[in-house]
Amino acid sequence: MSWLTAAVDWQSRAVVMRHLRVYLRNWYTAFLPPALEPLTMLVAFGIGLGGYVASLTWEGRPIEYMTYVAPGLLAYATFMTAIFQSLFGAFIRMRYQRTWEGQLTTQIELTHVIWGEVLWAGLLAAMYVVIVAAVLAGFHVAGLITLKLGWLPALLPVSFVAACAFGALGLCFTALLPTIDHMNLPVFILVLPMGLLSSTYFPLEHPLLVTLNLANPLYQLAQAFRGVLLGGPVLAPLAGVAVLSALMLGVLVPLDLRLLRRRVLGD
Amino acid sequence: MTILLEALGLVKQLGGRRVVDGVDLRCEAGQIVGLLGPNGAGKTTTLRMLYGFLRPEAGTIHVNGVELGRDLVRAKRSIGVCTQDDTFDGDFTVEQNLVIAASYFRPRPTDLARRIPELLARFELATYASDKPETLSGGYRRRLMIARALVHRPRLLFLDEPTTGLDPQARMGVWDLVDGLRAEGLGIILTTHYMDEAERLSDALTVLARGRVVARGTAKGVLGDLVGEHVVVLDAAAAPGVAAWLAERGRGAPAGVLGAWHVPVSGEELADFARAFPSVRYEVRVPTLDDLFLKLALEP
Repeated sequence: MSWLTAAVDWQSRAVVMRHLRVYLRNWYTAFLPPALEPLTMLVAFGIGLGGYVASLTWEGRPIEYMTYVAPGLLAYATFMTAIFQSLFGAFIRMRYQRTWEGQLTTQIELTHVIWGEVLWAGLLAAMYVVIVAAVLAGFHVAGLITLKLGWLPALLPVSFVAACAFGALGLCFTALLPTIDHMNLPVFILVLPMGLLSSTYFPLEHPLLVTLNLANPLYQLAQAFRGVLLGGPVLAPLAGVAVLSALMLGVLVPLDLRLLRRRVLGD
Repeated sequence: MTILLEALGLVKQLGGRRVVDGVDLRCEAGQIVGLLGPNGAGKTTTLRMLYGFLRPEAGTIHVNGVELGRDLVRAKRSIGVCTQDDTFDGDFTVEQNLVIAASYFRPRPTDLARRIPELLARFELATYASDKPETLSGGYRRRLMIARALVHRPRLLFLDEPTTGLDPQARMGVWDLVDGLRAEGLGIILTTHYMDEAERLSDALTVLARGRVVARGTAKGVLGDLVGEHVVVLDAAAAPGVAAWLAERGRGAPAGVLGAWHVPVSGEELADFARAFPSVRYEVRVPTLDDLFLKLALEP
């Protein structure tokens, strides 16, 4: 069994199904947060801040601020859901609930536990994106934003793959940080800068930031979603998402395995 | 007899230190093998290699005829594990824990609709089926851990200190369950710090010290080989010459427990002792596995 083929083994699916089963126990904890978050964001940033920024220029054409923000919300939901799940959710399962240790006494191996966490981050993020998309569709129907709604389903596989990569990134910190209190470090060093400097909520045109963002998968994701939903360049950011996600998964999953083998198995 | 576990020459280094050094172990169907040793002897590392949690650097492990290193997944289908700490899934109820555990095995355990109520009844967990495991008492948590380890009908069961922290009644309840599993033909590898538990339950003992097997066999045989035929118990302060008497025989300081010395001796040494200390008051008793632990702990 190689680390890569383990992703499609039944054991990895069994781990994902376990997480899904826990998630679906309460519909209100499962579905309300992802529905309320974009509502709040659209009200705060769109109607609130948007009142001051009536419109802005994107790809050489004027665009309503709320419309600009909407695709960014989908990218941001992908990123935040995946990274927080693999940081806090995985850490709690590993350290406090000892779920991983229980799984490892069965036919599940550590590679499957890791792929299970990565794929679960992807699946959860994709489910969140569906709910956020439904909220955005409501705003579109109400005439508050203008999106190419028919393309929304096409974003799901992209969101899933990118979220898996974000999940693999989060797991590195789960493997390295000694306690849950230390989670502040990746949150402030990585998550917030990546999130705020990704053109999710406002365009960033400073040449330095634009250059830096070429390596920011969240920026590429936000640009790709914007391109699809607003009608703009799609191929370049989509290729950026694909390349960066493949790179992250190819490097980080083996690294996660190595770090967690030491941490969980003591080996 | 069917051999369910055969481990040969297991070696494992952790943190640059060889913690298991050439351990052999064997368990047959319907047999309980007690794996004993003081803290740091390599019991848990050995156990973790045997159930596939860790990979040995050298040696082979066969479980139910399948070599663990060659086909880990198939070998683990025959294994049930009850870890020392509670590792049940706190997100699920008692009953759901059994369902989830079953989902981690292929071929899938059959007839779960009957198997799970049967396990709940047998381990007296039916009343708590809808409760969260953390609401259970220590004894019932252990029952859940063992029930979960059995959900897929394994042939070999690993019990890592299954009664640690339980009150005497709960311990005896677990003993009965373990004894019943042996009667059904399961092979069981048991580690414990409770000497009475090891003596009562185990058909054979393997004693580890500093990562090596230092004795194996029945409890009586192991004690005879490693401790001696008798143990002399005397007040340490009342017999100043005893340390020198032991030193003359190339023996180190005796084990001290609450101001009393516990000196393992052979029949011949007991006669010598009686001649050497005619006025000292002492008691002679049969050795126990506690004496073995004390002896192993004192050895350099």
